[in-house]
Amino acid sequence: MTPHTQTRRGSPAARVPQGPTTSTRPRERTAAPRRRIAALRSGLAHFAVFGAPGILIYAWLVLVPIALSVHYSLTNANPFNPPRRWVGLHNYRMLLHDEQFHTALRVTVVLTLIVVVVPNVAGLLIALLLDKRGRFYNAMRSVFFTPMILSSVVVSVIWTRLLDVDGPLNRALRELGVRHPPAWLSDPDLALYSVASVISWQMLGFCVVVYLAGLQSVPGELHEAAAIDGAGPVRRFRAVTWPLLAPAVTINTVVLLISAFKTYDHIKVITNGGPGAGTTATLAFDVLATGFDSNHIGYASAMAVVMLAIACLATAIALRILRAREIDL
Amino acid sequence: MTTLARRSVLAIAAAALVAGPALAGCSTTNTNDGSSDGSGKAGTKTISFLTFETPNLTAAYWDAAIKRVTDRYPDIKVNKLVAPSADGRTNYAKQLRQSGQFPDVMVGVSPAGFAEAGDLYPWSPEELKDFVFPTANPIRGKYYQLPANTQTIPPVYYNKTMFAEAGITTTPTTWDEMLGACARLKTAGHTPFVVGGGKDGFASSMILSGIVSIDVYGRTPDWMTQRRAGKVKFSDPDFTAALAKFADLADKGYIAKSDVSRDYAGTEQAFLDGKGAMYPMGNWFAASADAKHRQDIGVFNLPSPDGRPIVPAYTGGGIVVSSKAANLDAAKRFALAFQLDKTQLDDSVKADGLIPAVKGYTPPADTGPVFNAGYALYQQAVSNSTVVHAFRWETADDGLLPGMTDKVDAAAQDLITGRKSPAQAAKYLDDEWAKAAS
Repeated sequence: MTPHTQTRRGSPAARVPQGPTTSTRPRERTAAPRRRIAALRSGLAHFAVFGAPGILIYAWLVLVPIALSVHYSLTNANPFNPPRRWVGLHNYRMLLHDEQFHTALRVTVVLTLIVVVVPNVAGLLIALLLDKRGRFYNAMRSVFFTPMILSSVVVSVIWTRLLDVDGPLNRALRELGVRHPPAWLSDPDLALYSVASVISWQMLGFCVVVYLAGLQSVPGELHEAAAIDGAGPVRRFRAVTWPLLAPAVTINTVVLLISAFKTYDHIKVITNGGPGAGTTATLAFDVLATGFDSNHIGYASAMAVVMLAIACLATAIALRILRAREIDL
Repeated sequence: MTTLARRSVLAIAAAALVAGPALAGCSTTNTNDGSSDGSGKAGTKTISFLTFETPNLTAAYWDAAIKRVTDRYPDIKVNKLVAPSADGRTNYAKQLRQSGQFPDVMVGVSPAGFAEAGDLYPWSPEELKDFVFPTANPIRGKYYQLPANTQTIPPVYYNKTMFAEAGITTTPTTWDEMLGACARLKTAGHTPFVVGGGKDGFASSMILSGIVSIDVYGRTPDWMTQRRAGKVKFSDPDFTAALAKFADLADKGYIAKSDVSRDYAGTEQAFLDGKGAMYPMGNWFAASADAKHRQDIGVFNLPSPDGRPIVPAYTGGGIVVSSKAANLDAAKRFALAFQLDKTQLDDSVKADGLIPAVKGYTPPADTGPVFNAGYALYQQAVSNSTVVHAFRWETADDGLLPGMTDKVDAAAQDLITGRKSPAQAAKYLDDEWAKAAS
């Protein structure tokens, strides 16, 4: 076997340092780039087989529409009123003075806060109660997770009936002596909280499952050691369980944040953005209403781009805060 | 990649997942592949037909109507589509258009917007010769929607038993008499009006539609044309007064604020169940009342200030045909046969209380008493020339701008719940109009 052949094949002999002999240095200089090229080819082949399809699909279904929407946001695009003209930042300037958009922003923030906090807190409490062995607890886990696998439209239709002014909930309240039960969906001051409660109820099961997984990954010996040191249940939770649940908190918070921010279907089915002008209309609802009901694709695209920017910022901040408190065992 | 950079990428990817669908929803495609022959039979023309379902217009009603036409034209095959909600059928047609699935034939879809964009086929005078009002609803001088029937919006259906319990012996003809009747009903423990809302916003704005039609259009029939020309505004005194008149009903407790979340089907049921004494609704409700043999339900015109029997009505509501339909000839044949077939017209009268606007047509002899009473009120207004356009329901050059009907419904809900004053509601409508017109 000639040294030349060994180098091309990248034999062990070629990779082992041979010492500062002048005769081998030129061969090493030519062999190194070839090895890099071979490694690069191999990497490219792996990428083409495993990475590229996913990236192409993501680019086609997400990145390209985003780029198109940024483009539309700088135009007066209206499919029913051609031609499309370049308007620069006009749509964004209009957003600054659009009371309806500001209302949608406020509604989205309130809804997001409720949907992030309530299922997180309630989910953790329920997970702590269900973190036991036995058929009953297994069954209860399934019960809490069931709403999560239902279509949000189905859930919304069911809750619309339940929360109707003459629905089962108010009938029950009347039976209990409440003469004027709340108008859950038609009171402008209450409707948003009613919808947020429905979404929280549906997301609760997800939080419970994630927290249960987190609780079951906490090593038992840490609890035992803490108990030996005299820590009570509350102290053990604060010192052992809670810090080790940090990854679960991160997952739940980010997923809830994203889910709440893009809320559309619940609003569409339960309140249609009302009662009245935008009392429960989220940004996503307003984007679709502006784009498809009023035909203002350009303006709706500007709203969507702003929504994207806010979502990016909120998610980045949440991740930065939550990841900082995660610890590795 | 640094940790921070990795987190940023993760954040952006997550956010993109949030906003991606919304952004993608804004991307426009204007392709129209129409329909194609998919039956496998030589010579068969396939068309898509967008319908909508209500308590009156059930799936069985549409299926039977389609079958009558396809029996007559066996070469036509129909793919029926159903809008997700009755009130959202026009918006659904827009979504289908944006996604390149614009139906070949659509019923009850407002042509505004589609017509200007060249999406609809303009009917010729020859094709419209069988209709009573062939020049109804012009858009830039052309006619896109078959003027198949007239709907009065809204007559007031009332519960005779509740009226009797409140000591009301004759139905009100002036607005003052109407307020008096409401006061008596309330004293007798009955909620005067049943309204609705929720996903069917029109159920909130029925009374407002009637008041504006009678008070504003009654004095200025071309008010909406003037609004489009910028000569009048919603915040002008006459329109604001109409808003105030409507808000006054809610202020006095004649409309239950909690009703605005109830959908259309629930609203109709609420009236039938006796949740209120009066139900201002389009004349299509007559069919439902007659089908249930409700002898205790009567009907009268929404009163005008001075007692003149002004009847708001809308003639149109028929079929529109896509100008880009792959089988345009079949689509047109289907549309005309559907709208002019005597059996179908009779069915539409019985099922939906429609008043066919077809020359030589008379309703069948066995229609119910509620329909007959409403029909007589309309015929009287026609003979008195006191028919005006129905505000919010117009679909042509003299109608609201695209997207504005939802704003009217929202304003009506805000007036009912007291969230906006009449002046604020008028300003809201003007602001939304400016956005819609931009």
